[in-house]
Amino acid sequence: MQAIETVTVGLGGQASITFSSIPDTYTDLKVVFSIRSERASSVSDTLVFRLNGDSSNQSIRALRGNGSSAESFTNTLPNAGIVPSVPDTFGSYEAYIPNYTSGVAKAFSVEAVEAKNVTTAYQQISAGLYNSTATITSLSILTTDADIAEHSTATLYGILAGSDGTTTVT
Amino acid sequence: MTVYDPPVATYIPLQTITLGSAASSVTFADIPQTYRDLVIVMDASASGTAGGRMFPNNDTASTYNTIRMYGDGSSAVSSTITNTYGYIGDVFTSKTPIIIQLFDYSATDKHKSWLYRMNSSANYVMAGASRWPSTDAITSLVFTLNSGTYSSGTTFSLYGIEA
Repeated sequence: MQAIETVTVGLGGQASITFSSIPDTYTDLKVVFSIRSERASSVSDTLVFRLNGDSSNQSIRALRGNGSSAESFTNTLPNAGIVPSVPDTFGSYEAYIPNYTSGVAKAFSVEAVEAKNVTTAYQQISAGLYNSTATITSLSILTTDADIAEHSTATLYGILAGSDGTTTVT
Repeated sequence: MTVYDPPVATYIPLQTITLGSAASSVTFADIPQTYRDLVIVMDASASGTAGGRMFPNNDTASTYNTIRMYGDGSSAVSSTITNTYGYIGDVFTSKTPIIIQLFDYSATDKHKSWLYRMNSSANYVMAGASRWPSTDAITSLVFTLNSGTYSSGTTFSLYGIEA
């Protein structure tokens, strides 16, 4: 696994974090990010995980708990988690995209935890689908209601799988 | 505490199996004992909806325990499974990535456990943990389904994790 790029959001925040011109030399991609929203009050924002800037060919199926109950939902917006706002601490996230250069639709996963020192805080696991045969060359993280806040970070890793070796297939 | 300076590379690629045709069983054999943990990344699909199974050292006799939670888009469920296989989630005809983290696989003083994450955006999302009640070091991993076959194009990648 190799670190490809890290983005740290500077003073004033920014609308999104985008990794562009992703090399096609790896097998899988992994993104680890720590972010919060600039939404002013202690109201959670929603994370959007977008591939190739495509806003119409993604969907997710998710399982989410809030400390007292659990729910499951689907969404055609790649709504992949809850993002805490400025009064709260940063949320922690990880996304994994296997075979991102394959010529078929890509399935991916996202884990999201909103750390808050209050009774209600969300954690979510998501199964995502990017229904496109295109190689993934860019990846964006954004929030739906405000900019991503200063000091948020995101790191993109490339994972290269091994070659075939001693294999038994029946 | 050990501080590695310079840092040590980890997530070492050990082997990838890409199915050129449908298969009912796939095996990683002769797994080196030199890492702390293993990660298996499957980008799988199957001939029909089927339960994914993993057998350390091809042990089909032991009683494995699994606890899982999953959501199908409308309801959230948690349940346990006890059977003679290691459950790793279900595999569907559409792409179903499964990521497995297998801890302390070479230890001979503990039972082995793993975490798994199964993702099917068309069916359900699942996270679970399973236990293999054996102190044997794991030298091979066999993957099967409760019915049908893994489809052509399915990939299984094995990584070694340094600690």
